[in-house]
Amino acid sequence: MSASGYLGLLPLAILAGSAILVLFGLAFARQRYETAFALSMAGLVAALASLFFAWTGAPQRFTALLVLDHFAYLSMALSIGATIVVEFMSFAYFRARREENGEFYFLLQLACLGCAVLASSSSFASFFLGLELLSTPLFTLIGYRREREAGLRSAFMYLILAGVSSAFLLFGMALVYLETGSLDITTAARAASGSASFTVLAGLALMTVGIGFKLAVAPFHVWTPDIYDAAPAPATAFIATASKGAMAILLVRFFAPAGIAGAGPFAWIFAAIAGISMFTGNILALREGNLKRLLAYSSIAHLGYILVAFVASGNQGSAAVSFYLVAYFVSNLAAFAAVAGLSTNEAEADSIEHYRGLAKGHPWAAAALTASLLSLAGLPLTAGFMGKFVIFEAGAGAFLWVLVVILAVNSTISIFYYLRVVSALYRPASEAGTGSMSPRPAMPALAAIALAAMAIAIIVIGAMPGSLMAFIREVARDIASNAAAAL
Amino acid sequence: MAAVSFEYGLALAAILFILGLVGLLTRRSLVFMLLCVEIMLNAAGFAFIVAGARWGGADGQVMFIFLLTMAAAEVAVGLALILVLSGRVPGAVPDEAAAGGEPAPVDMRSLLDTDYQKDAQAGRTRP
Amino acid sequence: MSIVALIPAFPFAGALLIFLGWRMKGRTAAIIGSAAVGLSMASAITLASISSLSPQSGSAFGLVLWNWLQVGSISVPIGLAVDALSIVMCLVVTVVGFLIHLYSVDHMAGEEGYGRFFGYMNLFVGSMLTLVLADNLLLLYLGWEGVGLCSYLLIGFWYRESANGRAARKAFIVTRIGDISLLVGIFLLATSLGSLDIQEIGRRAASAWPLGSPIASLAAALVLGGALGKSAQLPLHTWLPDAMAGPSPVSALIHAATMVTAGVYLVARTNALFALAPAVQLAVAIIGAATLLVAGWSALFQTDIKRVLAYSTMSQIGYMFLALGLGAWTGAIFHLAMHAFFKALLFLTAGVIINALHHEHDIFKMGGLARRMPFAFWVFLIGSLGLTALPPVTSGFASKDAIVARAWTSGDPGHLLWIAAMLGVLITSAYTFRLLFVVFAGRGASAANAANAAHGSAHEGGQELARPGPLLTIPLGILAFFCLIGGLVDFPRILGGVPWFGTFLGTALPPAREAEAGGGSELALALASLGTSLMGILIGALLWRRSLKPGFVSPSSGIASFFKKGWGFDRIYAVLFQTPFEWLCRVNRRDAVNLASNGIGTANLAFSRVLRSSQTGMIRWYVAFLAVGGALVIAAAVIL
Repeated sequence: MSASGYLGLLPLAILAGSAILVLFGLAFARQRYETAFALSMAGLVAALASLFFAWTGAPQRFTALLVLDHFAYLSMALSIGATIVVEFMSFAYFRARREENGEFYFLLQLACLGCAVLASSSSFASFFLGLELLSTPLFTLIGYRREREAGLRSAFMYLILAGVSSAFLLFGMALVYLETGSLDITTAARAASGSASFTVLAGLALMTVGIGFKLAVAPFHVWTPDIYDAAPAPATAFIATASKGAMAILLVRFFAPAGIAGAGPFAWIFAAIAGISMFTGNILALREGNLKRLLAYSSIAHLGYILVAFVASGNQGSAAVSFYLVAYFVSNLAAFAAVAGLSTNEAEADSIEHYRGLAKGHPWAAAALTASLLSLAGLPLTAGFMGKFVIFEAGAGAFLWVLVVILAVNSTISIFYYLRVVSALYRPASEAGTGSMSPRPAMPALAAIALAAMAIAIIVIGAMPGSLMAFIREVARDIASNAAAAL
Repeated sequence: MAAVSFEYGLALAAILFILGLVGLLTRRSLVFMLLCVEIMLNAAGFAFIVAGARWGGADGQVMFIFLLTMAAAEVAVGLALILVLSGRVPGAVPDEAAAGGEPAPVDMRSLLDTDYQKDAQAGRTRP
Repeated sequence: MSIVALIPAFPFAGALLIFLGWRMKGRTAAIIGSAAVGLSMASAITLASISSLSPQSGSAFGLVLWNWLQVGSISVPIGLAVDALSIVMCLVVTVVGFLIHLYSVDHMAGEEGYGRFFGYMNLFVGSMLTLVLADNLLLLYLGWEGVGLCSYLLIGFWYRESANGRAARKAFIVTRIGDISLLVGIFLLATSLGSLDIQEIGRRAASAWPLGSPIASLAAALVLGGALGKSAQLPLHTWLPDAMAGPSPVSALIHAATMVTAGVYLVARTNALFALAPAVQLAVAIIGAATLLVAGWSALFQTDIKRVLAYSTMSQIGYMFLALGLGAWTGAIFHLAMHAFFKALLFLTAGVIINALHHEHDIFKMGGLARRMPFAFWVFLIGSLGLTALPPVTSGFASKDAIVARAWTSGDPGHLLWIAAMLGVLITSAYTFRLLFVVFAGRGASAANAANAAHGSAHEGGQELARPGPLLTIPLGILAFFCLIGGLVDFPRILGGVPWFGTFLGTALPPAREAEAGGGSELALALASLGTSLMGILIGALLWRRSLKPGFVSPSSGIASFFKKGWGFDRIYAVLFQTPFEWLCRVNRRDAVNLASNGIGTANLAFSRVLRSSQTGMIRWYVAFLAVGGALVIAAAVIL
């Protein structure tokens, strides 16, 4: 292995190494909370920076486990970026509550490492390792606020469900391995695209359960609202973005080029999952009065949109998935940054009623949250619009007319509940209202920075998507050529 | 090694897997749930070993070892969660403890049974 | 040359700052708002001077900021096009806009929502500049909708009175009819010509569509529909008089100087289309002529000072449409620019008067204000002379006479149109001077004092009312100055003028279609229109005398009321559209269609309830979901 080969591994190494440093900091430093935050942030930023150096060496394979190509680095950048934003919004959120909260950053960083491994894995072994590296810290992150019983119960629920889904996934992998004799994901995917035996089909179906659970697409979505609601807002933000994004990337990079998404039984299955997810998520969200649950339901629908692009497959499909992920990341992170920033010691800012009159008290926050919600709804000049647009383009290009129509119908449905929240922001606060806080506390600086940055990103991507789109198309072309080379 | 047809091993793994799944669907105790998940994971591990045996490679065993480690980590977190939860289930009334009184004894049934609380709130009693 | 991007950027930035600093002190908002438009004006002037210095061929250029969308062969760039036409429009919008902002600093002081006002105004200026600078129809449409939105918001600025809200809605809905027509037109152009770029559309249309072909006529008619709605021309004109519910600066900026002339701009911008559809172009001229007569006649019967001016605006835009229809593109834009100055001046002065008289709008309760508000009188007089196109004031004289002369020289239908235009000249000067006399002349002993007394004002009749402050008088003075000398940029050649303006615009717009008339007839025409104007003044004076008779009540019944209410268009629309619609609604109270759409909603909500009941929070239940889902996927994988 050449020096540049190890350079390619640098982001992962930095993430892992700095996680250990955070542990040391927690053990020895006096200001353990601040130290943990600073060390973890430094590690993340360094990892992000190292991506630039690693970029030139790509693509390469690192043993049988990892493939480090541009697409992997892109998804690493997304995960790491999301984690940085999550840390920004966590700082004040956890400091206000407890002295002993430094471990949060360690766990977050481990989960981020899990995402990075997941997105660059090329074998079932690294896939599974990455997944568990991501899931195990999440159990703790969900129940991080020990004083809240709902959080603990939800953490346990997530643990059981994640365990079950892992079991499904592993059993499926075992079946595929039994038939193909290889742990390589691409080989497995290719085996499925041909005339596959019952064992392989059943194996892939079981894997679909495990992947669907992580993506929270219908009918594997049921856990989402409870976990979103009970987890602390920053942890929810991480689950909503980085965790799902890494899995979506994995799905794209191995299944899309192998042609599994474009044809055969799994094209139908994923199409059905996409359609059901869009309807389920949006319809569930219609009557929801809790913002975190609402975002949970809406995320089910958003992953459904992403699956439309996935089923469209090909270059355009992969690019659409990646672009939509970027839009989905910034929009969701902005929304959760607002939730985290406005939560106080006593109460999580989760009821929509709570947001009434926000425009008067926090005009900037209200504007940013509006941008985020409009972007999630997919209105023009926001990132979400461009995301939906490229998915439309990909879907229409692959002649998936039914899915495209469902997507359009669902976009319309979703506008209803997003605008319900937006209108709450600009209505006067209810008199002695339920849950409306007065006086509202000032937004913590770091959360406000995260919120502002994400809001600006939403507008910039929405108004001038050209260069980002071109970049993502370039990277997406990269995976297609990789897959061809691997053949 | 005497050649045991891999179908038998696979059938055993499938039976184990379904056993765990059914257990999960029927048992209400947290500890049992954790156990059932372990059974399912081990079923998957067994399937890997069977598959590895078929191809005569070490990959299956490697996966099993990974799986075992991860399952251990998962169980550790799960047990920790159960322990923390045990201090918070109804029965251990927090404000009594704050008042300096002896915390009430933990109702073990409520600790192990996820649906107990719901039933209790609904006023239902179960044998 | 990228300074052009700054022109719309400044007002947008100002609007953003003002909206996000909602709680900022009103003064700060006013300063930010005015400064933003001022900077924008400075950029526009810089751009104009650069372009006019450079050689003619170089004065037109495009600046593509970035590419927004790319679908197949159609791309939607965020691009600005600079040529003589857009430079002229930018100058008009920013200069008039800036003066009106300055004026508003004082005029709107103390109003509730002072900051909000400047936010909306900045947003409006930004949208208007986007509209005139856009190089493609989609961006133009974005600006088009933006100005419509701001118009709605500003008409309903005093939203606590429901009548204002109603006026705002009416304006929004009526113009919406035109907007939809424009949008359909844009779709038609995009699908049939495969481009959204305005220049490109012109080129492709000219090569693809033969002269007078149905599709060209359809496209031109659809675009015209949009222009009619925005510019308050027959038959979509009914919203403009009601739009006077907004503050006076709004009426001046949006409903006189800029937004309502967007239709004129649009037609001029897409002149290539209209050149291919002579029938539609003739319709433009006829609609213009009809509007100028109908609206002018209505203006004669109004008693509300702002409604007089509103009808007058419609009538003047009618002249612009007439010019467009006759192919006098530069003439239309010239009149647009001149009209912007004198009508803004009139509206702003009306605002001063209304404020001084404690929100009195009825002209018959004014009277004799010449002595009590001398400054207002003089500037109003200048504006009125501009409106009636009388020589000491050159702006209206130069621009309107050009149109009238144009009508005479443009062949057969032109003579009929010329008669209409001359009648319009007569009516214009009649209503203008009726207004001037009623408001300013006489002793004003009766009504104005009564109004004063009713308001408990200490002012005696004949005494001067409070002088407007410098922030009010300076913009008025500047506007009056422009009115006086503005016409010199394109003065009739026969009177020794040089057509600078026409030459400049000629680089962007096609030249007039046929040869100029001889000098002699030009002079004769000018004299004829001058005479007509003077006759109109006489009529105006007579009308004023009549109103001085004891026992005079402002026209409120019979035929006068019919004209006062704008020829009963509202009534006709009510009978034609509103009543059937309401009847349909009544009949269809249980609503068959709504049943379906409500049904979807209800079904969704019911379905939502069912689905939500699946969210039990119980682990076993959720595991069951995983298991059943897994079984389904396996089954599907095997079966398919």
